[in-house]
Parts: sequence; structure tokens; C-alpha cells
Amino acid sequence: MSEYRSRVAVALGSGARFAGLHASGGVVRTALVEPGGRLQIEHTAVEDGRVESIVDLTAAANWDEREAADLYGVRFDGHEPLRPLAVHDLDLRSWTVPVRGGDAYQIAVGPIHAGVIESGHFRFHVVGDRILHLDARLFYKHRGLERAAEGHTLEAGLAYVARACGACAVTNAVAYAQACEQVLGRRPTAEVARARTILLELERLWSHLNDIAAVCAGVGLAAGAMEFTALAERARRLNARLTGHRFLFGSVAVGGSSVAFEVDEARDELASIRAESERAWRELLFNASFSDRLPDIGVVLREDAIALGAVGPAARASGLAEDARATAGLLAYDGFETIVPRRAAGDVQARLEQRALEVQQTFDLLASLLDAPVTPSECERTEPAGPIGAARIESPRGATLCIVESANGHVDRLRLRTGSYANWPVVAHAAAGNLLPDFPLINKSFELCYACADR
Amino acid sequence: MLTLLKDLRRLRRSLALPAPDRPRSLAVRHVDAGSCNGCEHELTFASGPHYDLQRFGFSIVASPRHADVLLVTGVVTTRMHAPLLAAYNAMPEPRRVVAFGDCALGCGVLGLTSELVGPVEDVLPVDLRVPGCPPTPAAIAAALVELAG
Repeated sequence: MSEYRSRVAVALGSGARFAGLHASGGVVRTALVEPGGRLQIEHTAVEDGRVESIVDLTAAANWDEREAADLYGVRFDGHEPLRPLAVHDLDLRSWTVPVRGGDAYQIAVGPIHAGVIESGHFRFHVVGDRILHLDARLFYKHRGLERAAEGHTLEAGLAYVARACGACAVTNAVAYAQACEQVLGRRPTAEVARARTILLELERLWSHLNDIAAVCAGVGLAAGAMEFTALAERARRLNARLTGHRFLFGSVAVGGSSVAFEVDEARDELASIRAESERAWRELLFNASFSDRLPDIGVVLREDAIALGAVGPAARASGLAEDARATAGLLAYDGFETIVPRRAAGDVQARLEQRALEVQQTFDLLASLLDAPVTPSECERTEPAGPIGAARIESPRGATLCIVESANGHVDRLRLRTGSYANWPVVAHAAAGNLLPDFPLINKSFELCYACADR
Repeated sequence: MLTLLKDLRRLRRSLALPAPDRPRSLAVRHVDAGSCNGCEHELTFASGPHYDLQRFGFSIVASPRHADVLLVTGVVTTRMHAPLLAAYNAMPEPRRVVAFGDCALGCGVLGLTSELVGPVEDVLPVDLRVPGCPPTPAAIAAALVELAG
């Protein structure tokens, strides 16, 4: 075993989890997150266009290695077959898992879907109504944002991560800003940390309310979907009143924070949204035709969630007590306690209930953070950490890693590995064994972004 | 359930959205050609209680085969070029194309030239342009009312 592989194996063996892998100018870097939240980055040189795969050590590296192969031409020894991910090869056999046997057939769905849904292709291998296997082909929306950011100043690079995803704009921007600040030798003040934490939780609030609406829509309970859509709309209107943008675009900056707002109105509105959402949630719980549809479908077992590198509410619903907020030293999450549900069954019901629990937690966090007006603040100067900065931030969909490799104050290589990117393979895993008509519901119980996976 | 319906009825009364002044309807097919997901979120909310796009007779339909309007979000990526054209070619005539959001209009687009085809108007004849990053649900309703004429 090479030194690189053994370092990765040792880290994984001592409780670290895979956090991302990317190719960068002749090297491949693997990020691992230690139980305390510290990021460890290992690298190995690409020789003759090849490096050793680590996919046998952690299946979570599967997509990362395939992406590096497609976009950076690196071959991974030991990753067989190395199926294309970003390259849309027309030969079906090149990118789908072979399924053989009597009565097995394929159903192709997408890239254009029936509702207002982002573009992506699902290839279901089924027998009757039963899903044997799902090959998800994304990257239809690949805009090359990471590579397009190269050569820009660190400040200008922010726009590229923010544009990656409208639904995770704050998370992606905070992760990028923190990574850049390590490189620049800046440390967020308490006020910068507080402002960013408020923005992150405002993003989580509308997102979770929206995701509960999405599960209602997946079941076909229009009244629930509309109620939670209305609540999420109020959260977005509050965002617009506080920051001038419904999705909080432009509210995060590198090296400081410029947002400023009074908090009284926000506190009142949040208390009102909270009361109504709690009431609506109780109504959902007592609706038998709704709740009967949720248990025991799309199950992700705890050990599979670990092996596949699941993150966020989906991982916690499978019993993994992991939340990047618990170890976020540069944000205002002091005393944060990760929520793991009593019924961590890893099914649609558990993922829905997890969001409902986390919405309450977000209301609590916002109530305590919004105790004084939010004011602009500059980061403090500190020792630069070197040319590479890395930060991991909990998005509504799970931990998002941003790595910035800089040269002379410019972006040399940018890597944004979002919670959605980490969880897409988990969705495919959760679908297997279920009935095809349950897939939309299973998919909505994760409610991942395509945009921040494709970039 | 009854409580939810009662809540929604109360919300509807308090919002008191005006009824449309003319009977028109449009079936809209949405295609995401490479957006950031912001436009999709606002489009979904346009059907929510605060805007209730359906009261104007607008509905998002599942197939381009019975759509009047193709509403395109995002800059057109190389990988979405062919599916976008396939959707357009599947529509009956007359058909209208709405370029929805700044990216679809080619404003402030970020990305690698080799991965992008360009704004919607480079690919399809555009009838209506809806600016915004993303356009608000209110702007969506106003634009579609204008298109229905």
C-alpha cells in the first residue's frame, strides 16, 4: 500500500470520515474530517496520469474519483469499472450497472421532469414495479464554475460558488469565505460569526419548511404542501426585508460582513411563523392517509449511511450523530447539540421528522442570535495559513466542503463539494428495493439540489 | 386536515388576491437548461397561496405535447442543448418561448465557455424576457398575464 493510501486508511480507521477528493495540477487531494471537525488533507502525485484509488477504503469517494477522471483526465488504479460521471457518453453500457435476468427492464426518466424540477436523468432497472437498481446521471447543468473561477481574485471568486446553487447560496459562500480567510490571514470577529450564523439559519429555515412541503406534495397532500409553501414564502419575504434578497444573495463577503438590520421585526415574524408551523406540523402528524405513506420506504441503514458518506438531515435520520455546526469554531454555534431522532429508522418518515425537529432548533438558534441589531464588521488580521484554505459548513442538505488553492491572491483551484453531491449516491442506494411509484417521495425526502452537485 | 384547509381559506381571505379581469389560460412547460435552482424555487412558489398563479388560468403541465409556452430557466449548457430542442420540437403550434431569469437572458452568466451554449435566444426564438435573479413570483405572474394578452 502506498504512503498516501495508508495515511487515508489510518485516518479512516481512527474515526475520520471522507470529506472530498479532487484533482489539482498534478496532484490528487483527499480531505478527511476528524471527529472533532478538524480537516486533514492528504495528497498524492499523479504519475503517468494515474493515482491509486481509495474507493475500496471509502465508497464515498466514488463520485469524486469519477469526476476527477472525467474533468481532469486522472485514472484511478483499482477503481474498476471507472464509469463516466460528467462525460455524457451515449453508450448506455459505459455508465450503467449491468442488470441481467428474466423480466428486468429499464425505465428512463429525465433529464426533463414532469414538474418544476431541475434537470437530471434517472435510469431505473426494474422488475415489474420493483426497483432493482438506479443509475443517476447528473451534470446536465454542469457550467464549469470551479474551472471558470480560476485566475480570478479571491474576492471575485465568491460569485462562482454563490451562483452554484440558489438554495444553498449562503452555505456555499460562507464555506468559500472561510477558506479564503485562512489563506489571507483573516479571522472572523464575533459579530461576523454571528451575522453569518444568522444568515445560515435563515437559509435553513426556508429550505426545511420548503422540504416539508415537498414531502407533502410527494404524497399528494395538497393542503399540507400549500400550508408549508406559505410558511416558506413568509420566511423568504423576511429574508428580503432583512437583506434585500429573498434567497439572501450577496449577503456574505470575504473578509467581513456588511449586512446590517434591526432584529425586532424579525423576532416577531419568526415567532409567528414558528407558532403556525408547529400547528401545521401537528395536523400532518394526525393525518393518517399522509403518515401511512412514510414509514419503511427508502430505508438507509446506519452502516450504509456511513459507508456511502451520507451527510446532513438524511444521515442523522439514519442515526449518525454528525452535524458540522457542532464543531464550527468560526461561527456562533456555541453549545450546539446535534439532534438525532429517537426513531432513527433512515426511512422517509425519519428524514421528514428530522427536518421538523431541526426547524425547531433553527427557531431556537435564531431567537437567541437575534438579541441585538446586526452590524457590519471586518475580520481581524491573523497569520495566513498557507496557500490552501478549507472549510466545511452544514447546509440544509448536509456538510459542504470548500477548498481554495490560491496563488498570489488569486484562485488557482476551487473545489466545492456540497451536501447534495455527497448524498446523491445515497438517494440511488435508498431507491433500490422500493416500488417505482415511491421514488418521487423517496427523492423528495432528501430534496437535494442538482445545481450544486453539477456546478 | 380540516384545520389545514381552514387555515388556507383564512390565508386566502386575508390576502384577497384580485380575480383576473379576463378569461384566458396558458399551459406552461418548464425546462431547466442550466439554472442555479433559484428560478425553480420561485416558479414553484408562484403556485403557492400568496400568488396563486392558477387563478389566471396558468398551469404547469407535465408534457410539452400540450403546452402553449416553453419557459426556460438558466443559461443553456452543452448537455441540456439537445433535450431543450427536443422539448421545443414536441410542442404544438402556436408556441411561445419565455426566457426566464438573468441567466436565460445571458446577463451576468458565470461558467466555462466550453460547457455553455449561450443564452436561450441563441437556441430558440424568444417571445418574452423575464429579468431577475431570480424573478420574484409576483414578476412571474405579471409576465405570464402579459403573454396571455
